[in-house]
Amino acid sequence: MVSPVLLIAVPLGLAFAASLVGLASKRLTKFVPVVAMLFNLVVSVSLLPVAFRAPIIVRTAGWAPPFSIHLVAGPLGLLLSCLIAFIGLLVAVYGMGYIREGAQAKYHVLYILILVGATGMVLTGDIFNLFVFFEILCISSYALVAYRGDSAGAEAGIKYLLQGAIGSSLVLIGIGLVYGMFGTLSMADIAANVRSVSTFRLFVSLAFLITGFGVEAAVFPLNAWLPDAHSSAPSSISAILSGIAIKAGVYAIARMVYTIYGAQSTLPCVAVIGVATLLVGEMCAFNQSDIKRLLAYSSIGQMGLIVFGLGMASVIGVSAALFVIFSHALAKALLFLASGYMIYRSGSREISSLDGMGTRMPLTSLCFAIGAFSLIGLPPFVGFASKFMIVRAALATADPFFVVLLAIALVGTVIEGAYFLRIVQGLYFKPTPEEAPEEGTRKEAPLSALVPVGVLAALIVAVGIYPGLVGRALGPAANDLLDRDGYVERVMGD
Amino acid sequence: MSFLSSYIHYVGCFSLILIGLYVVLVKPNLIKVIIGINLIDTGVNLFLIAVGYIRAGTAPIFSEAALQADKMVDPVPQALVLTAIVIGVSVLALALALAIRVYGHYGTLDLRRIKGLRW
Repeated sequence: MVSPVLLIAVPLGLAFAASLVGLASKRLTKFVPVVAMLFNLVVSVSLLPVAFRAPIIVRTAGWAPPFSIHLVAGPLGLLLSCLIAFIGLLVAVYGMGYIREGAQAKYHVLYILILVGATGMVLTGDIFNLFVFFEILCISSYALVAYRGDSAGAEAGIKYLLQGAIGSSLVLIGIGLVYGMFGTLSMADIAANVRSVSTFRLFVSLAFLITGFGVEAAVFPLNAWLPDAHSSAPSSISAILSGIAIKAGVYAIARMVYTIYGAQSTLPCVAVIGVATLLVGEMCAFNQSDIKRLLAYSSIGQMGLIVFGLGMASVIGVSAALFVIFSHALAKALLFLASGYMIYRSGSREISSLDGMGTRMPLTSLCFAIGAFSLIGLPPFVGFASKFMIVRAALATADPFFVVLLAIALVGTVIEGAYFLRIVQGLYFKPTPEEAPEEGTRKEAPLSALVPVGVLAALIVAVGIYPGLVGRALGPAANDLLDRDGYVERVMGD
Repeated sequence: MSFLSSYIHYVGCFSLILIGLYVVLVKPNLIKVIIGINLIDTGVNLFLIAVGYIRAGTAPIFSEAALQADKMVDPVPQALVLTAIVIGVSVLALALALAIRVYGHYGTLDLRRIKGLRW
């Protein structure tokens, strides 16, 4: 059995090797992220069956938990690491052709570092290590948002950096408070002793941690950076930021609330925040005329749905939230990647300039439509299955509070349907705008873009028709998050 | 009075954090905002050190046989602070680099006039 440490060590090594490879041959650099993510995908998938039997605990320097920095590769961690590696691989393939200008070697190094940060966050069992990986993810995404070096990129980058830096400081204060109370940084050790401290002190530290990670997770009202950052970044980076980076923030919040603190009493508040995020995101998205900004706001809306699912505190609710994480990662990566080349060909980010793309770029448009339908939640796409699970979970709580919130959340879905259907209508049923540059706009996206987009679309349809493909893995993963005693026992046991 | 003297380091580091937060929230100059972020970082680092501090403690190194472990300060927060300092420096460097870029595009560091993007 390979050790889960390699999931972090190998890509991290390759990230810095990439710049050395760049010295030898400029053309080889772009293959390094593909190799790194392919390795991660293979290792994650091969470790999955082992982790479903019992989580793999990796000790460092021979010290048993709680005295070492340890990795806990449980069902949830490995499932998310599979997702990160898979999306990372597809976007890396896309990036080979898409990134043509600027400092390409630096792009590929930072790109791998984002994914290493996300993988480390989901695998670690140490709260400070979580912070370090969180910072690796954040710093490389600040730099990549400003990759193009244009005015929008620089402005979005500095906005994101300022808000992110304050968020990280809050996380660090929270960690300091936790260390002051428990004298340990191991998540399992903290979880075991959490009842020995007064509720007020727990609440203060949890508030710092949730607010800090909430900046990265873009929950309302901490989401001001997201539309700028996601729309100004290159499309491949937007796909990773929307598909992976904000999910890592949500994962950190869920780990804190459920496994470490067991703070079920804060969850109704979390659910309300989730629904508020959903409504704000969808209503802002409805007003946008810029396609990438619209997709960014729609990401905020979907994050709200995920947080709402997590707030239900039942196995089925958390499974539903994980399912939305999965379906949103696929669909939003697909939409950003497809719109990347549509923008490239039409030369504008205005939604009206995409009119008539259905005849100009038929395959890309078809995949875009599949992604949009999946996000709205139309059957037979995966978005339907995940949203349906949220509805089922909310009704299963039999609590009028959650049913009312669900009704509000479904209103958000209607708004989502309105703006996505408007775009798809433009793609297929509106004539090409007169002033469109005729030269080159009839060309389909290159193969390096069509393959990832096609694979994502195929997967959206396949999992939509057989939700069981993913559905069976969600239950154990949700248990990994909810079963605190089991978590403590398995990590500290031997 | 006794409260202040026994918790003076916590009072100090949280005032530093609040001063930094004030600068970030109020000052319109981008460079001053970045300085504010750095003040927050420093305050947080001091807070972490204060968590592991023991009054009249020594460095956690067994340099002499007579040294007792219970008189030593906690080394773990110091290790954390080393990491946090490195992270803070890299964020600061990136922030300043981006500030140069922003200045190049807008010709100003006044945050009220850098409004290319909006809701």
